[in-house]
Amino acid sequence: MRFLVELLLTSIVALALGLGSAWYMVSAPRIGTRVGAWTAVPAISAETADPYSRARIARTGEIAMGAGEGLVFIAEHDDAGEPLDGACDWIVAGETPTARLWTLTVTDAEGRLPPSVDGRRSLTSREILRGADGRFAIVVSATARPGNRLPSHPSGRLRLTLRLYDTPLALSPEAGSAMPRIERGACR
Amino acid sequence: MIRSLIWLVGALLLAGIVHIVTVMGVPRFAVADPWQKIAARAGEEAFTRLPRAAAGETPLAGLDPTTTQAVCRFALDKGPTRIRADVADGYWSLSLYDRRGLWVWGVDNRAAEQKPIDILIATDVQVAQLRETLPDELDDVVIVDWAGREGFAVYKILVPAASREAEIEAVLASATCAPASLP
Repeated sequence: MRFLVELLLTSIVALALGLGSAWYMVSAPRIGTRVGAWTAVPAISAETADPYSRARIARTGEIAMGAGEGLVFIAEHDDAGEPLDGACDWIVAGETPTARLWTLTVTDAEGRLPPSVDGRRSLTSREILRGADGRFAIVVSATARPGNRLPSHPSGRLRLTLRLYDTPLALSPEAGSAMPRIERGACR
Repeated sequence: MIRSLIWLVGALLLAGIVHIVTVMGVPRFAVADPWQKIAARAGEEAFTRLPRAAAGETPLAGLDPTTTQAVCRFALDKGPTRIRADVADGYWSLSLYDRRGLWVWGVDNRAAEQKPIDILIATDVQVAQLRETLPDELDDVVIVDWAGREGFAVYKILVPAASREAEIEAVLASATCAPASLP
């Protein structure tokens, strides 16, 4: 009797642990290299994809950026570790690794774009204003702000996605880690 | 004490096995992988333009809302697939993905030096047949050796400003993806 109870208990614990950890690893990119607040989504190709990326793609149906195309970074926290929230402004400032082109988008945690009056969905490296030293500051905010502004959701969790196209970094995310800092601005 | 320790080790081992089996099994049993999501929107052997991502609409997860894109599913059972398209001035890329949604091959505007896209996707056997007698019209075609039987192509073009959207959509509409006959 005692044996059966122990066996049952062990099986339940094992199932919960096994399924739980599998879900955790597959639900979002977890094994990417971290640079500041940013996590690099591992570049995926059919030859080198790890089992977690394969499972994530099969589950979410996402069209991942190819290994030869570029590199994607996502951030859901600022540099201080605070979760990004639409109730605050967030300042993305500094520089990016070398890339022919980059785009910055803000979505909610499910990947939905915020409402936008002028149809703006993203900021690209070609259109932002920079300082004399090439550095930039972008305000991610639900309300109008001067300068480079990316409209965001007015509330709820935010996710920033920085896509670097055609970057030498695609081969090793560790090399060169000049990623912009993310800091909190005014809150409403 | 020893007894519960043994049970604990057993539980961890079993959890590890469950973890591995689950992760490996997901691609096999997925019901919403990229292939099926595209199948719900687009037929085979033609490019289908996806609506651009906007507030409240995400056509397919993972795509950059700054770009506009068309997708085409292909199967190589009946013959190789030929993809031809005009190209835009700015950034564009054509990527080929396998049945599981993993990136296999791609070309972008810098690699192509602004030449129109013209590629032929073929299986090993079809490539061998082509090598024997390459028709003249395929002289300049880039031949992609495809490991599986199925896959899909994503052609995306950056829209740098809303004013250029119409022009870029027209370039996107020029893309064709059709079975080619072997000699």
